[in-house]
Amino acid sequence: MEGGEGIDQGLRVLSYLLSGPLLYGFLGWLLDQWLHTSYWMVLGIVFGMAAGVYLVIRRFGRP
Amino acid sequence: MGLLGLIIPMEGGEEGSHWPPGVHSFDPKPLFPDAGIDWLNTYLLQAVIATILVIVLWLWVSKHQKVVPGFKQWCGEQLYNVVRNGIGRDALGPDYQKFTPYLLALFSFILVNNLFGQFFLSMFPTFSRVGYAYALALLTWLLYNGVGIAKHGLGGYLKMMTMPKGVPWPLYIIIIPLEILSNFIVRPVTLALRLFANLFAGHLVVIVFVVGGTLLLEQSSFLYKIAGGASLLMAYPIFALEIFVGVLQAYIFTVLTAQYVASSLADDH
Repeated sequence: MEGGEGIDQGLRVLSYLLSGPLLYGFLGWLLDQWLHTSYWMVLGIVFGMAAGVYLVIRRFGRP
Repeated sequence: MGLLGLIIPMEGGEEGSHWPPGVHSFDPKPLFPDAGIDWLNTYLLQAVIATILVIVLWLWVSKHQKVVPGFKQWCGEQLYNVVRNGIGRDALGPDYQKFTPYLLALFSFILVNNLFGQFFLSMFPTFSRVGYAYALALLTWLLYNGVGIAKHGLGGYLKMMTMPKGVPWPLYIIIIPLEILSNFIVRPVTLALRLFANLFAGHLVVIVFVVGGTLLLEQSSFLYKIAGGASLLMAYPIFALEIFVGVLQAYIFTVLTAQYVASSLADDH
């Protein structure tokens, strides 16, 4: 049986893509609570997605 | 009701209170409900039995080794080779021998516990309780971080895990928290949740088919009885699927543990 590395890489990509929106969405939510606004969380989620995609390219993309 | 009655699940047996099936169907049942020791429940018993089974199995298989293997030894070696060659050597390269004992123990322990979900006396997979899955993921977490720190030193390991090459330095402020979250929290947590959720969901489907089928069979309408019988029959293919999922998840958990260790040991990403 082979393909263990492929499974791991795929799941790591997934993990990055999950972590980005989670982390920056949470930070945005905190900022929203603090400033009594309602848009930082959305901005944070989008920004986190972008950061996650960037990280995936850096880690796994071909130069 | 004796001890056996508590180990045998209540699927289909009880009326009323078990419909609809849900998270409560997985509540641990204390072995001695009157003794006030709630922690001594069926899940713990299963885990302990599985541990004993795994130890006894490998002691039995490895006893009286011969140069020309008999059937028992051949079967043991085949299973051992799947873990050692297919998982360990495939992922870890020349260092694989050091990690084979852990991988083999992990694989057989998860496998036995998953098959408990289909075994007629237990009927609950141990890892449908999320705490047990977290405990295994914690072990793997300690292993891959410990191995990485031992090889690269604390600073070097953290640098390797959190600072990918080719990123301009201002971006590290954004990237490093993300890497920490991804590598040290999300990856092990998803490792545990994957094992837990597969077994939990699969077993819930079985409960729905069996309990629902029984309930339909008890109705007076003839059509309900037909639907109930069909539902009970459908439980068997689902059981077969559950056996497959149990084996697959044991394999995946072990493969990913090996891969996590391999990525901690890697010189460069």
